[in-house]
Amino acid sequence: MTTSEKSSNPKFLLFLGCAIPYRVSSYEIATRKVLGKLGIELVEMPEYNCCGLPIDPINHEMMLVLAARNLCMAEQRGLNIVALCPGCAGTLRKVNKKLKEDKELRGKINGYFKDTEIEFKGSIEVKHLVQLLAEDVGIDKIKGAVKRRLAGLRVAEHEGCHVTRPAEGVGFDDPEDPQILRELIEATGAKYVEYTDRTACCGAPIVGVNDKITLQLAREKLVHVKEAGAQALITVCPFCHMTFDTNQPRIERMFNETFKIPILHYPQLLGLAMGFPSEELALKELRVDPTAVVSQMLEKREDN
Amino acid sequence: MAAEKPRIGVFVCHCGLNIAGVIDIKEVTEYAKTLPDVVYTKDNRYTCADPGQDEIRKAIKEHNLNRVVVAACSPRMHEPTFRKTSADAGLNPYFFEMANIREFSSWCHPSTPKEATEKAKQLIKMAIAKARLLQPLKEIEVPVTSKALVIGGGIAGINSALDLAEMGFKVYLLEKTESIGGHMAQLDKTFPTLDCSICIEGPKMVDVGRHPNIEIISYADLISVSGFVGNFKAKIKKNPRYVIQENCTGCGECKEVCPIEYPNDWDMQMGVRKAISVPFEQAVPLVYTINLDHCIECYKCMDACGARQAISFGQEPEEIELEVGTIIVATGFDIYLPYDDPLYGYGRYDNVITALEFERLILAAGPTGGKVIRGSDGKKPHTIAFIQCVGSRNLKKYEYCSGFCCMYALKNAILLKEKYKDEVEVSILYMDMRTHFKGYEEFYRRARDLGITFIRGRVSHVLEEAETKDLVVRAEDMTLGQPIELPAEMVVLCTAAIPKPDAGDMARILNISRGTDGFFMESHPKLKPIDTPADGVFVAGACQAPKDIPYSVSQGSGAAARAATILSKEKWKIEPIVAVVDPERCRNTNVKCGICAERCPYGAIEALEKQPARVVTAMCHGCGTCVAECPADAITQKHFTDEQIFAQVRAALEDDPAGKILGFLCNWCCYAGADLAGTSRFEYPPLIRPIRVMCSGRVDRDFVLEAFRLGAGMVLVGACHLPYDCHYISGNWKMKARMDALAPMLQKLGLSPQRFRVEYVSAAEGLKFAEVMKEMAAQLEELGPEQIKAENAKLKPILDRMLSKKQQ
Amino acid sequence: MAGNRSGPSLKPSGKDTSKTLEIPSATNQSTQPPMPLQGVGGHLSERSAGDSMPTVSSPIQAHEFDLHFKYEIAKMHGGEKLKQCFQCGTCTSDCPVARFSDSYRPRQIIRMAQLGLKKRVLSSDTLWLCASCFTCTDRCPQDVEVASVIRILRNAAAEQGLLPSIFKELGSNILETGIAYRIPELRLKKREQIGLPPLPKGNAKAVVGLAKAVGFLKTLGRRGEP
Repeated sequence: MTTSEKSSNPKFLLFLGCAIPYRVSSYEIATRKVLGKLGIELVEMPEYNCCGLPIDPINHEMMLVLAARNLCMAEQRGLNIVALCPGCAGTLRKVNKKLKEDKELRGKINGYFKDTEIEFKGSIEVKHLVQLLAEDVGIDKIKGAVKRRLAGLRVAEHEGCHVTRPAEGVGFDDPEDPQILRELIEATGAKYVEYTDRTACCGAPIVGVNDKITLQLAREKLVHVKEAGAQALITVCPFCHMTFDTNQPRIERMFNETFKIPILHYPQLLGLAMGFPSEELALKELRVDPTAVVSQMLEKREDN
Repeated sequence: MAAEKPRIGVFVCHCGLNIAGVIDIKEVTEYAKTLPDVVYTKDNRYTCADPGQDEIRKAIKEHNLNRVVVAACSPRMHEPTFRKTSADAGLNPYFFEMANIREFSSWCHPSTPKEATEKAKQLIKMAIAKARLLQPLKEIEVPVTSKALVIGGGIAGINSALDLAEMGFKVYLLEKTESIGGHMAQLDKTFPTLDCSICIEGPKMVDVGRHPNIEIISYADLISVSGFVGNFKAKIKKNPRYVIQENCTGCGECKEVCPIEYPNDWDMQMGVRKAISVPFEQAVPLVYTINLDHCIECYKCMDACGARQAISFGQEPEEIELEVGTIIVATGFDIYLPYDDPLYGYGRYDNVITALEFERLILAAGPTGGKVIRGSDGKKPHTIAFIQCVGSRNLKKYEYCSGFCCMYALKNAILLKEKYKDEVEVSILYMDMRTHFKGYEEFYRRARDLGITFIRGRVSHVLEEAETKDLVVRAEDMTLGQPIELPAEMVVLCTAAIPKPDAGDMARILNISRGTDGFFMESHPKLKPIDTPADGVFVAGACQAPKDIPYSVSQGSGAAARAATILSKEKWKIEPIVAVVDPERCRNTNVKCGICAERCPYGAIEALEKQPARVVTAMCHGCGTCVAECPADAITQKHFTDEQIFAQVRAALEDDPAGKILGFLCNWCCYAGADLAGTSRFEYPPLIRPIRVMCSGRVDRDFVLEAFRLGAGMVLVGACHLPYDCHYISGNWKMKARMDALAPMLQKLGLSPQRFRVEYVSAAEGLKFAEVMKEMAAQLEELGPEQIKAENAKLKPILDRMLSKKQQ
Repeated sequence: MAGNRSGPSLKPSGKDTSKTLEIPSATNQSTQPPMPLQGVGGHLSERSAGDSMPTVSSPIQAHEFDLHFKYEIAKMHGGEKLKQCFQCGTCTSDCPVARFSDSYRPRQIIRMAQLGLKKRVLSSDTLWLCASCFTCTDRCPQDVEVASVIRILRNAAAEQGLLPSIFKELGSNILETGIAYRIPELRLKKREQIGLPPLPKGNAKAVVGLAKAVGFLKTLGRRGEP
């Protein structure tokens, strides 16, 4: 199916999407550092386009062709795709599955590509970063790469929506009780904290239509995270991250509350556990200052 | 007998103007005269009326007829009538054959009387061709053991047993657990009367225990069942109680001294029982049982038992065999325990329980003495929410509605309000309130009157507050149009009623089928809800589908009545249209074959090693699937032999075969649907020459090959719909597999694919049949006679070769 | 129309497909291209979509029903099970947006689609409040793809020119650069500085070609290339 073999470093085509290069490069930086050390080779796409999700509400077929275009580019190189944004990952994954299964639809989409060099064949897979870490790296390898167990840190996660939902289209982990990101976090030695409504959406997709709802949603999540006693919140999505990090001061002002909960990308957490210095993990780019938590985390760590 | 030369009498019916209005009766009757072996012909206005029947009887005697053919309506209408007429005149009723020239000709081809008449002639020719080859058959009589086995001692089984016992039959009541009673005995009160459940069931249980005609075999499993209607042999394994039933007086002194307690199933693990105990106080039989998994063998119980010497640690399982004439399955249901669904918190949150657990709480004899208290702190809840449809009506879990949950939720809510009055507030969150039977709607009103809150909205999520262990229920109150978070100190889940986990084993042992929902399948959902396709085996109660107590009781009595129709006879008659193996031809004597035994939907064939296969006649239902499946052509189906069918095929295709559609229609669905097309006067082109078989499973591929060898234009095999409609359970599936393999082969040999068609038509689809006929006629015309003849010419030598191997 | 008193003025467009739903939002007044979340200007509009009264608050008249609408939706990918919805409310019960909105009820949107209240549902501003989190789709006991039905309705509304301005911006960016946001040159240069590989290029030409073929250009009210 693909040319990435397990014996040499697994190779994945990196799909960056639109938001990360624009506003959340910290996620990209930390990911590249961590995956490099874990033996995953990331191959750049020479050319790409939006996954299509932002305009799916306007024209579904446009989304299908945009997504299919990206899939074809990966097929031409014989590489599976890893996407850091679950919106991209979920969209590309669903479209990949649909086009593989629905002959009629596949014919229609390939019809649009008639006069180009591309044709969807259905020969590759798409994964989100979390799935790649769980399947192609593996918990044991991650545990092995951890040099300082972050034993003193209590951490909650917001996995968001599109890593696991819709269950049928995505087919990864149990959306009602997801365990895999939890395992990845616990592999760093951090203490995992559950909180009410942990699988609820952050509200990001309706920003620009009704910001108020988003902020109320995000606020409630932060309230529950705080109630549960977590010191930091881990995300794996640029939009979730912006909702909780970039907008945290705004939420605090709007509702007259204090949270001061640093929001870390999972690769930043893992990177710290693997021994990378904070500077290399773009922690400075976080709006909510993680310094206090990070130094506490490093103080209380258990070195391997 | 068959060596006697056929003397065939043909009676053509006018049926008033129904037939005569389109078909030229005189022409048809004259034509019949010209056919070989026809010695007498007559036309009647109404053959089925007394004068008409008289004529037949007279003719049989006066003209020494030994075969009778009536050309009239559908055999599904009057075959039994004319069989009796023949029998009355001293002729074996199976020497009778019918040509359907009404539903299959005059009624469906009114605009083309000439063609309709031609078709009628040919239908008569086909009937005569079969009639020549008919054999006399006698109904098979089997003796009947006038005892019954009732499997399952719940309320349905109890009723069946009592009714049968009162009728004078001996009944074995087999119960898997230690006591009869079933789920009904676990309940507190029953809706809508609020009768105490065990108070009304208890006396019945005692009656069962006391009845001289009922023998309760408890704490025992059904291992196997062999035999057939009237003559079943059931092997049962009695599990060791380590207590000798005959010696145990049920005094309970052993229980008093036993030091070991363990959580009991009866209270849904909320209460305890001793290592030696009865499951509940009113158990019948009142015999103690030792659970060796928990017993520490201190032998205190033996001391307490003393002189009675009822305890025996050395007891072994005992196998017994029962001989019975009928079996009633009343094994009941289970409830869904939603451990697998994190959204309800069952198994995670202390204060979320199922409705059956709630029954045990509120019951005075339950583990809390009737106090409804929370698992987390033992306190009485002030707010309780009942959540409906947990697992039911959900395509992701159980598609069906469990039927009684709305009512028991109302009941439990009413009980709470009547017990605790203002101290408790009860809410029911539902999608629909299904209160459909006698007194049920009034019960609903009573609930509203007591101030129970009804919220229309399906619950999606139950959350727990970490400190108080109180719950929050999320639903949308649709009448308000708002999502709500309802606080509740206790949540009761009304979960789906599901088949018992061993239902699959039971179905296999008894040779009955289960529907897609896993419950046992009845013969016909409307007209035969208690019979099963296995003769002599009946179902009653919730094992057939979830149902409440009155319905279960009714079915129990119904099953007893159905069983009694067999048990009350000394001999049971079985129609002789059965399969017979020719031991000379059967391959199983030399090589391991057994295909017939494997394919028989009823498991009615025995194919023991190195022996010819043998059809257990009384279990054979006459589908003919084995006949078509046998690779050695060693099996015959009486009254539907290969010779008879080939004769019909040849008669049909004698003239102008390329312009004809030869049809093999199954009696119960497609033939009936074709009849309906005629009855409804749906007109279609008169190209089809139908041959009736009991089941599409009977259609041998050689029939199809022979049809094309003789130059047929098209061949149609008409069957019951997949997956479950086949009257013989799965004959249509066997036919499908056979034809799925045949069609590509024929196409490879040059046959245009549309010339060989398998179609599924139900008895209600008259219109569909007519449409199929029109479609096929149009396709036939499009292909044109030249192409058809050309294809046939190419096929013929190959088919000649293939069929020459078949011994004629 | 009598009784039509839903909140902000929603002017369904007539022939001019370039008109949009006048939904004031925090971002469409900024000078920078719309970004998902950032306190540009810092102010929230006074009225955001969905603050209006529920769209079913006024009596529904005979001519508003189109009972064939559900068959059309059922023909589309994701809309197949619309007729199966038996209005249990599970979708709305845990919908993250419904909990914080007075008027957004996915169940009601499905209801309006079932009843064929085309004008109401397509011109409704709450139609745009779905966050596509798919919780509803996962939990529906009748396998209705609730979020997909809402997407189908959104597509239909967009075809009539009824869509929030933010989507026009996003669509426009995609047509011009291939990706949804306009990334400033500075940002691209910064990648070099911090040692990230250069960002892959977009292919606007290919994208526009596709947009034309699937009718996306038309929906956005454009005739040709930017």
